[in-house]
Amino acid sequence: PGGPDLLQSPLPPQAQQQPGLSEQTVIPNLASYITISAQIASGPSGAAMRRVAPVAVDRAIREIIQPVVERSVTIACITTRDLVAKDFATEPEESRMRKAAQLMVSNLAGSLALVTCKEPLRVSIAKHLRALLQQQPGSFSGSDQHEQHAVQTCAAENLDLGCMLIEKAATEKAIRDIDEALAPALNARQKRFEQGRGYSDMISPFGTGEGRYPAALPEALRPKATGLLAHQFFVYEAFQRMPRQAHFPQQSAHQAANQQASSAHMQQQQKQNQQQNVSRVPEAASNQAQLSGYSS
Amino acid sequence: MAEKSVEELYPLVLQLTVPDSPEHRESALLELSKKREAFADLAPILWHSFGTMGTLLQEIVAIYPTLSPPNLTAHASNRVCNALALLQCVASHPETRGLFLAAHVPLYLYPFLNTVSKNRPFEYLRLTSLGVVGALVKMDDSDVINFLLQTEIIPLCLRIMETGSELSKTVATFIVQKVLLDDVGLTYVCATAERFYAVATVLANMVQALAEQPSIRLLKHIVRCYLRLSDNLRAREALRQCLPDALRDHTFAAHIKDDLTVQRWLSSLLYNISEQAIADMQAQRA
Repeated sequence: PGGPDLLQSPLPPQAQQQPGLSEQTVIPNLASYITISAQIASGPSGAAMRRVAPVAVDRAIREIIQPVVERSVTIACITTRDLVAKDFATEPEESRMRKAAQLMVSNLAGSLALVTCKEPLRVSIAKHLRALLQQQPGSFSGSDQHEQHAVQTCAAENLDLGCMLIEKAATEKAIRDIDEALAPALNARQKRFEQGRGYSDMISPFGTGEGRYPAALPEALRPKATGLLAHQFFVYEAFQRMPRQAHFPQQSAHQAANQQASSAHMQQQQKQNQQQNVSRVPEAASNQAQLSGYSS
Repeated sequence: MAEKSVEELYPLVLQLTVPDSPEHRESALLELSKKREAFADLAPILWHSFGTMGTLLQEIVAIYPTLSPPNLTAHASNRVCNALALLQCVASHPETRGLFLAAHVPLYLYPFLNTVSKNRPFEYLRLTSLGVVGALVKMDDSDVINFLLQTEIIPLCLRIMETGSELSKTVATFIVQKVLLDDVGLTYVCATAERFYAVATVLANMVQALAEQPSIRLLKHIVRCYLRLSDNLRAREALRQCLPDALRDHTFAAHIKDDLTVQRWLSSLLYNISEQAIADMQAQRA
């Protein structure tokens, strides 16, 4: 809610061809979240970089977001559907089953999207930066070592922002899609209940029917006929608590990523970014470290 | 060894899903992975017990952030590899293999196979992940092959076959071999020239590398892959051109002199791509 649906905003064809339009981004207000470190901003291509970075990040995100989100959400929904249907087969409260599924699917879809998009996104941001810089008035040759370094640094600095937006799109779509994926399992439960069979006899049908399990498991380890034991929901709650991002030295996009940025939050973030940009020089060293990590 | 009572597994499984602390879960992972050979029922217990599969998936996705930039510690690698060992157990068991596939669990290991760092924690992670896929294909179940062919497993294996450690190369080649031995798998790989040459080129590069640094077990899988490719007529034609010379001359003769199986495979392969085989085949058709 609130934010734009990135999957619904295809690249308008004219935006790619007309240089005049190149400073607009399809993702609203993206420019406010872009980071340009002082080291780059004060360099020879600093002004041009500031102009083109939002467009490059915008294009890179939209280039890869759809296949990444589709694949991640599809896989996460299938896994969640099967495991939740099995674990909650005897749980009378449908809302708990839905809640568990949402926690699990958003974590799995977000994790898969993030791990899948990261490298392609970094490469794509750099590619678009280079292409856009070459169109700028001035002399970006694309071969100069400083220029290459500026492009790589800028791509690395804005990678977390792009990852966050893609991850967010994946988790939101996963939560929308999981209800549909769960519908057959929920209908089957509903039918049993209406037929007066309740949930107590579901313990065997949700197994394969051949083996001794789950019936042979001790009560603490299997879904209980009368509903989950108090400690069991804990496993699903843990999907919510897991941190999904590595900890990076610089905090700007990273903080936003961990907090599922609401627009209010992002505005606040923007102010912080502006403040941080002033004192960004000492972080150049840590950026270097990050870059050398990528290339190894 | 006599089957021990599964009773001793239950507290460990509970400790895995409802740990008092992260260290508790870690020691349960270790203990259970050590016991996996001794208990035939471990796989169904892991699958059917409440929340265990979810817990193992949490262990896997928890280290995704350390993959790029590569930042996986030996400790974290060991821990997740114990979780992977348990998944391998679930993948191997006839009662749980189908459920494991249907839930698409193998796909959560692909980000591990996609890493390129040569550091030991990553090597170990890739090797253990390959072990899970290897356990799946070992069962000669066409459902497994059909599932894998819809995923990126072949390109992932091919890259490891080019760049991995000797052990990783061997497991990756074994997986490709098992895919090829399935009729659908062979048809899939030979369906386009692009796919065929992707596989054939990597195999040829490996043969070249083996001429410098021989490994009999790896050579054996490579020869078996070539032999199976030669069952496909179009691939057979192509192999007449692109089979490496090292397999046609006696480069490896000294290394395989004690292995009758690989000798037999190699001579069948050379026969299949010979003029004589073509002539025999035409005679049969006539």
